[in-house]
Amino acid sequence: MKQVLETNGLVCPFPLVEAKDAIGGMDNGDELVINFDCTQATEAIPQWAAENGYPVTHFDRTGDASWTITVRKA
Amino acid sequence: MIITGLIVGLALGFVLQRGRFCVTGAFRDLTLTGNTRWFSALILLIAVHSIGLFLLNGLGVITLEASPFPWLASIIGGLIFGFAMVLAGGCATGTYYRAGEGLVGSWFALIFYALTSAVMKNGPLTSVTEGLRSITIESGTLQASTGLNPWVFVAIISAVAIAVTVHHNKKTATPVATLPPLKKGLAHILTEKRWNPFVTAVVIGIIATIAWPLSAATGRNSGLGITTPSANLTTFLGTGDASLVDWGVMLVIGILIGILIGSFIAAKASGEFRIRVPDQATVVKSIFGGVGMGVGAAIAGGCTVGNAMVSTAQFEYQGWVATFFMIVGAGVAAKFTIKSGARTGAAQPAESRSV
Repeated sequence: MKQVLETNGLVCPFPLVEAKDAIGGMDNGDELVINFDCTQATEAIPQWAAENGYPVTHFDRTGDASWTITVRKA
Repeated sequence: MIITGLIVGLALGFVLQRGRFCVTGAFRDLTLTGNTRWFSALILLIAVHSIGLFLLNGLGVITLEASPFPWLASIIGGLIFGFAMVLAGGCATGTYYRAGEGLVGSWFALIFYALTSAVMKNGPLTSVTEGLRSITIESGTLQASTGLNPWVFVAIISAVAIAVTVHHNKKTATPVATLPPLKKGLAHILTEKRWNPFVTAVVIGIIATIAWPLSAATGRNSGLGITTPSANLTTFLGTGDASLVDWGVMLVIGILIGILIGSFIAAKASGEFRIRVPDQATVVKSIFGGVGMGVGAAIAGGCTVGNAMVSTAQFEYQGWVATFFMIVGAGVAAKFTIKSGARTGAAQPAESRSV
């Protein structure tokens, strides 16, 4: 199961706050796609994923100052 | 030679933007999530800066002046600033660099911050600021009230900094994901690579140290500062009084240009500049945040730079007390404004979404 979280337009810390909320309701092995345009989240989200042991299966730019990251709950 | 202020500002602006150095985030995380990573980086920055300042002071390159401790202003100003910076979504430097990244909300915050700091420091409310700041305790620093050598405190903060730096740089079992690189070599490191917050902290600590003698050489005996220069820049723009354009004003102009260059260079490589217009609520919050930041920083005698980085590094009570109350203010604001689950049904199953 894959869920998509659109956080474009939200400044930090909201993308991460919402990502935590969303992943809380997911099962292990589910993937969460987070789309964001807050520059700081390029630091904060990978760091949060690594600290929680969630593998990142995809992380790339989607345009000027916008990014997408896919985190698998584990 | 106030032009050196411009150069320091350019370097600082670039480093702040690339390092995503965010003191607001550091303070907010302490109470919101209990995450101490960025706050630890700030401690390292203060340690590096204190080593640099007391070294220069000992060599006679600069003269650190003891000033009394405006305790009431540090508490009130710190609380107001801390609360306001969470509303604005960034501290003074954070707001400057987000403005440079094209976040329109930060433009509003920056304009109102510069405006109210001018009102409080040079304008009609100057007497309010001075009245609050005249309520003082004689000994303004740890070394003055304990009679100990300042290097004792340098050693203590350095030991703490080393401990937290080691703790936060332990490898995580899961590697930290990075963006696929588009550039190679130096261009990759400068414009794309994710900077370790602790490396950024050391670089800022060094820039802050170099700033002091350069500023002192022009007759402004202090280090990095954002609020007074922003107030002076605004007052200069309104009055044409060129005597206000000192090293500090050149510094903030340099930071703005440095951030623009930082994000524009990055825009070539990884595209981090884009005009981003927030929703109505965010604009209103940014304006109130900017107003509060100008008022709070003027009363406290500095923002997250002047107080939390420079005053703390001299072991002034003003810096530490103002910083503590900024954290309290940020915590209160985070409790009120940042609730999880605020947006309903934010995450959508991928299948139900047209791509």
